[in-house]
Amino acid sequence: MKDTYEKNLSKVNREEMESKQDLRTYVPTTDIYEKEDAILVRCDVPGVTQEQIDIHLDHQELEITATQKMEHPEGYELLIGEYDTGVFRRKFSIPQLIDRDNIRARLHNGVLDIELPKAEQAKPRRIEITTGG
Amino acid sequence: MYWSNDRTWSPFAELRSLQREMNRLFDGYDNGIAMTRFPALNVWGNAENVIVTAELPGMEIDQLEINVVNNQLSIQGERKAEKPADNAVCHRTERGTGKFMRTVRLPYEVENGKATAKYENGVLTVVLPRHEASKPKRIKIKAS
Repeated sequence: MKDTYEKNLSKVNREEMESKQDLRTYVPTTDIYEKEDAILVRCDVPGVTQEQIDIHLDHQELEITATQKMEHPEGYELLIGEYDTGVFRRKFSIPQLIDRDNIRARLHNGVLDIELPKAEQAKPRRIEITTGG
Repeated sequence: MYWSNDRTWSPFAELRSLQREMNRLFDGYDNGIAMTRFPALNVWGNAENVIVTAELPGMEIDQLEINVVNNQLSIQGERKAEKPADNAVCHRTERGTGKFMRTVRLPYEVENGKATAKYENGVLTVVLPRHEASKPKRIKIKAS
């Protein structure tokens, strides 16, 4: 009894994973800006809700994954299809040290804004020149 | 129906996907000629309505203009270039900006006055009810 239940469960999980793998992957168009105290990343991710965004910073690698809501109105037939929905995924390497605790992200009208504040050590510092002698 | 299940592999769905992918691919690599095909549209239909959807991230509603004339739908607007901060330097700009206009011939006659549109998460959805005369009618056959 328990075996069957577990078997069923594992099957469901596998199906979920498979359906995820079936999604097409797209590269989101991105702008990157740098301020004195932060790196700003802006991506186009249309059709994605806030819950479907995963931002991951591992060491110096920033990975953005955004899964689009499947677009198929119930009971409708596709007559002209010019785009497909899927997953937006992209990796960037961030050479500057980032203050990991204060990363902020905002989603507005399908545009994702990520602000990566630089860590104290990475902020520019004016070096005073002392004249010798 | 052999291919009614979404999970089953369908050669047609696969081909359609490929076609869309190619369209999307070329949109970015022909030095702007395909900008005339921006935004990419999907047109859906059933017996009652026609639905047109477009991916238009980063727009404001007042920058979008949608018109229906006869059975032609046109979508126009402008995406403004805005720097996230005044003192920021730019490392990479891939996101396109500027004016666009796209016109598409709808597959059916529609009720121009009853069209509705919504803009959510950067996706525009226009719902156009089909004109009474264009709706499918089943013709009964009388036995003689």
